[in-house]
Amino acid sequence: MYKIGIDLGSSFTKGVLVDDNNNIIDYHLTRTGFDFNKAAQKIIDKFSADHEIQYPVYTCGYGREELKIPFASNSEIIALANAVFKHYNKKCSIIDIGGQDTKYVTVSESGQVDKFKMNRKCAAGTGSFIEEIAFRLDISVEEFTSLAKQATEETKINSYCTVFAVSEIVGMIKKGSTMPNIILGIYNSVIDRSVELSPIEDFLVITGGIPDNHPLIVNLFKKRFPNCDSPEKSQFMAAYGCVLLNLENNI
Amino acid sequence: MSEEIKEVAKLQSVNALRKTMDEYFLRLSTAAETGNKKIAWCTSVGPAELLYSMGFEVYFPENHGAMLGASKLADKYIPTAVAHGYSPDICSYLTADIGAFLQNETPLQKNGFKSVPKPDILVYNTNQCHEVGDWFMYYAKHFNVPILGVNTPLWINELTPSIINGIANQFKDLVPELEKVAIQKFDLEKFRETVHLSHEGCVLWRKVLETAKHKPSPINFFDSAIHMGPIVVMRGTQYAVDYYKILLTELEERIKNNISSIPNEKLRLYWDGMPLWYKLSSMSKLFAHHDTCVVASTYCNSWVFDDLDPKDPFESSAIAYCKLFIVRSDDAKQNVLEKLMTDFSIDGIIYHDAKTCARNSNNRFGLQNRLNEKNKIPYLEINGDLCDSRCYSEEQSIIAIETFIKQLSTRK
Ligand code: SF4
Repeated sequence: MYKIGIDLGSSFTKGVLVDDNNNIIDYHLTRTGFDFNKAAQKIIDKFSADHEIQYPVYTCGYGREELKIPFASNSEIIALANAVFKHYNKKCSIIDIGGQDTKYVTVSESGQVDKFKMNRKCAAGTGSFIEEIAFRLDISVEEFTSLAKQATEETKINSYCTVFAVSEIVGMIKKGSTMPNIILGIYNSVIDRSVELSPIEDFLVITGGIPDNHPLIVNLFKKRFPNCDSPEKSQFMAAYGCVLLNLENNI
Repeated sequence: MSEEIKEVAKLQSVNALRKTMDEYFLRLSTAAETGNKKIAWCTSVGPAELLYSMGFEVYFPENHGAMLGASKLADKYIPTAVAHGYSPDICSYLTADIGAFLQNETPLQKNGFKSVPKPDILVYNTNQCHEVGDWFMYYAKHFNVPILGVNTPLWINELTPSIINGIANQFKDLVPELEKVAIQKFDLEKFRETVHLSHEGCVLWRKVLETAKHKPSPINFFDSAIHMGPIVVMRGTQYAVDYYKILLTELEERIKNNISSIPNEKLRLYWDGMPLWYKLSSMSKLFAHHDTCVVASTYCNSWVFDDLDPKDPFESSAIAYCKLFIVRSDDAKQNVLEKLMTDFSIDGIIYHDAKTCARNSNNRFGLQNRLNEKNKIPYLEINGDLCDSRCYSEEQSIIAIETFIKQLSTRK
């Protein structure tokens, strides 16, 4: 029997398939859309095609209490902290950059959540900021990363507001800034917003869909904070944490 | 798997509360219609005692703002005020209230009012913020009636004699102007009497709040936010005193019979900042569902003016209204909070950062960190607003609150 962990994010739903030794053997990602049940079902269908799965499934994130399948839910922040702690086995701070939320979590030596904060109401510092700018400038995620690598210097983006940031960028292009330099500015602006959540003192772990899809962001974090890492497929950490947490609780 | 919904135990006194508030509004509407009494508009922590002692019926626009928030109407009115030049970043009591006025609507229409009761005079105290002056000025101009103000300095650290004397003198200076509008002479004995009644009401209200020191608590913040109505609008009258005797008796009975506000109190929280009026009932259910009782708050505690003393009504009014939490420096606030945390056995603090009320958002200058360093009580900050629900992300806040509760449970 295999266990499933599902993290219902505002943009994407992340699923992990976990074996008897509690190792992840498969990952699946799907757009959440407006129907949480459908998104969760897609994950289950994908995994159950080749594996016999165990219920309840372990969930966290938006709309988790409304699911129609048997589920055991958890806070995504506690789930994330749990998986990250199991991975590194030490006190750390996590910055998780997702579609709509950026979270800052500190995890104690014993693996408990010590403190956490979420971004304020607006999209600054979240994935939506990058997505919206990419859409407005008609650049794909892949192009974003390859363009950023060609940057020679950063063009600083000031605006918190996504819409105003686009007009600011248009102005910069007119003044001769190059797209690679602007994208570097966008990445740094996301980092700036996220590190405003708290002073960073501990070992720093970067997670979420944004660092997974924009690996340069992780490198930029590492430049600022040498004591920093990002696990592979970091956006699945909370989904995995749900499974681990519930095993601990013997559900 | 979804669990059963755990209900908050309803207070029986709510019927007496409704009656007390209805009668208050009836007195106001009668005054508005018949002119049998003059009407003064007053800020929520303004000189209500002085106004009641001089025979005014007293109307509180902030109470109206809270009503607009609680009835989820504020969002309908705020844009109208914004269109008339009032920024969406300023007090949403103000924008909701002025917006409703511009649309000629009010929930008071249910209480028999045609419109909000026309003022004969407006009196404010800037001890809470300076926005009340701008707010009242709008109506003073509109109705062409006098406006008086007590200008209290903000950020009072120590209550020095010069501050107290200055404010006491400003209170005294109101008298001749009020006499002109009231068409009656100021009577010191009557003022002493209203100060006495205000003191009595405040002491009863404090005792009501203090019942929450008991474990489990017989009352929670979301109830208190409703039951504070009389101490805000009838401070200085027998009506408030009578009501809080009823409420206190019920709460003491609850303690005797081991009836708690929420079914299974495991955690006790402190709420700092304004209520989210449009979410009072869903918040109340959310916390109850997680066996968590919000037992105390800065907001409800702000109407405990127990320094009032009929022997020295002007000076004691000055002390009481300058001692108010909101007007104090962060150091003074921290001292108050520290004591409350111990007195009410608090496990965690929630700071509500209200977008449109800087003065009531106490997490903006690092107080939350300093307090945490000292007493190690974990805290959570949530972003929202008192009336403008557009500033509040419910889904995000629920996730944060539920995580916070889990975080606290693992510490227990
Ligand atoms: S203290 Fe805040 S809520 Fe009260 S009137 Fe001033 S700005 Fe508005």
